[in-house]
Amino acid sequence: MTSGQLKYEKFMVDLTREYRPQREWAEGRGLYLIIGHFLVGVAGGAWIFGHLFDHPASLVCSFFLAVGGGLCHLINLGRPERFWRMMRCIRTSWVARGFWGISFFMVGGIIFLPALVFPDFLWSADSFIAKTGEAIAWVGAVIMIGYMGFAYMVSKAIPFWNSPLHPVLYIAYALRGGAGLLFLLAPMYALAPRLEASLLQSWIWITCLVIALWGVEAVAVMSSGDGAARRSFHELFKGNLAGYVYIGILLLGLVVPVFLLSGVAVAQTSLSLAFVGLTSVIGDLFIKLCSVKAGVHIPVRI
Amino acid sequence: MRLAMVIDLKRCVGCYGCQIACKAEHGTPPGVFNTRVVKQEIGEYPTVNLVSLPVGCNHCSDAPCVASCPTGASFVWEDSGIVDIDPDKCVGCRSCMMACPYSNRYFVSERLDYYGDKGPTIIEAYWNAKTQLGVVRKCNFCRDRIMEGKEPACVANCPAIARHIGDISDPTSEVSRLIKERGGFTLQPEKGTGPNVYYLPA
Repeated sequence: MTSGQLKYEKFMVDLTREYRPQREWAEGRGLYLIIGHFLVGVAGGAWIFGHLFDHPASLVCSFFLAVGGGLCHLINLGRPERFWRMMRCIRTSWVARGFWGISFFMVGGIIFLPALVFPDFLWSADSFIAKTGEAIAWVGAVIMIGYMGFAYMVSKAIPFWNSPLHPVLYIAYALRGGAGLLFLLAPMYALAPRLEASLLQSWIWITCLVIALWGVEAVAVMSSGDGAARRSFHELFKGNLAGYVYIGILLLGLVVPVFLLSGVAVAQTSLSLAFVGLTSVIGDLFIKLCSVKAGVHIPVRI
Repeated sequence: MRLAMVIDLKRCVGCYGCQIACKAEHGTPPGVFNTRVVKQEIGEYPTVNLVSLPVGCNHCSDAPCVASCPTGASFVWEDSGIVDIDPDKCVGCRSCMMACPYSNRYFVSERLDYYGDKGPTIIEAYWNAKTQLGVVRKCNFCRDRIMEGKEPACVANCPAIARHIGDISDPTSEVSRLIKERGGFTLQPEKGTGPNVYYLPA
């Protein structure tokens, strides 16, 4: 059976269900959108933390992650050769704004990063050209971490995403991912101990924010959300996605890092922090995967 | 002028004639239903009723699919208010599908024929050559037929005369009269999209 036939069979079954799962942004080439959002989010977060903690390696890494994320966005498209058309509707479309954000980031990075990495480059990191590139990349990074949540929020077909909390959650994931990437790079490109403690504190605060936001979202959905949003929550915690949520998000993304940071089993070294970063980043990938896959359409009824 | 459709649920017998007529008119492949009939049970035992609810694009006045489209491929015809897609501009990002609260847009990524391995029929081969892959498709109120002065295929082929189309901005038109006299309602008005497909109660 071809993928097209399989998609058709699933669609015909979905039409008989009261709550039809959204598959376009979660299966097949749609998976690349989730990976793209994950990479672009981590890239934006790493750019911000890389600047705050003066960590050039994470700035370079964030650039390559953004390139990977941009490519994933392209693969997700049905007609990638027309990608340039997405720059048109910036006034109304969050997808178009995201396209501009990623483009800004890449252009700014190309101008700024060579001067930062290679001291003998054509222009220095303190030159006007490099500073302009840095500013452009900053604009791109801010748009990149912001646009994803808004792109989901305006999706009126999926009540679970159609929540004002979604943009805040996506910004928090991006920052958590950025902090995680810095931890991951720490064994190779060390941070000063004072900065390491500060980054750790940031990671803990952002993780607490993510937990609090999920709590608020759960209360909001269960108390006043409509049936489709409740169905999405059911899918997450009791349905097909429960395994991903409990193992990927809660165990890998939360319990393991907290256990490692507690110092009960292992001493806090840059290697253990790298492991914290890795599990935290994997947990963030699962959060994005699950929240996109949990989306169900509003039922069509009188 | 703003075109609107009125569907009389009292007259609709759920024969799927509109669904088939649309498929014949536009040669839509398997898994694409510009219009389809949903069967819905309403009421509670012992006064349960089975209602046939034909659904399709609502050609909203404030269409979220148009706003979410990054390329301008989804657009509104100014002469009629019809929401349409320009397949040459569509990049297949599917953001419009996520924005449509009625879930009446379809992404076609691969050629599929109704008879599988036996290959396309003559009519399928004709439509395959005319349509693009990797883009989103939807109902456009049969704009080509309307421009020729005809009714959309689903309206013309409804054996129960349950569907009506007309100018809702004209208070004397048949659709305006039906909506006013029979208490026409829209689906999911709380979404604030200003749908232009009205239903008359069963």
